[in-house]
Amino acid sequence: MIDDESLTGLIRARLPDADVRIFDRTGTMDHFNVTVRSRGFAGHPLLEQHKIVYAALSDALKDGRVHAVELTTIVSEA
Amino acid sequence: MSTDLQEEIGREVAANKVLVYGKGTKTAPRCGFTLETIQFFDNFGVPFEVIDVLENMPKRQALADMTDWPTLPKVFIDGKFYGDTDILGPMAQSGELKTVLETAFGRPLGEQKQTINLH
Repeated sequence: MIDDESLTGLIRARLPDADVRIFDRTGTMDHFNVTVRSRGFAGHPLLEQHKIVYAALSDALKDGRVHAVELTTIVSEA
Repeated sequence: MSTDLQEEIGREVAANKVLVYGKGTKTAPRCGFTLETIQFFDNFGVPFEVIDVLENMPKRQALADMTDWPTLPKVFIDGKFYGDTDILGPMAQSGELKTVLETAFGRPLGEQKQTINLH
């Protein structure tokens, strides 16, 4: 279980400019829809963009704070 | 470390053009994302295999290490790792996935049954 603010913080630790949208799929605060928009994705294929986010969430996934993520990544042009 | 498991995974990946490591089986998926992935490939009309690793933590760890991808399901096509439906969905929409599958199976694919709503 993790709150939106902490989850956003983990992602921004890797992608400081990230715009993060979070939706709690199950109401249990551990299954999320996450959309991340960042300039940090530029030049990375989709698979690598997702790996960047998963690396940011690595500890939270391992210790069970985050159980499942449905992830969308968007390259920010701004 | 875990060389036997890596060899086992390598054999399974080589033996199946489309392989899903997931939670539960094709007929009895035990995770919404695994079910979604099964429906996804059913829709494409290509043969695929699902290997249940729900209870096999050492194998799940070996898979995570090999792919640098922490979650299940994990999809391999023609020996290459493609992540999950969050990756495959956009690839299907762009038409890229159809090309990948046609190359893998060496034949043209028919029209998809329908555009599926992934979520």
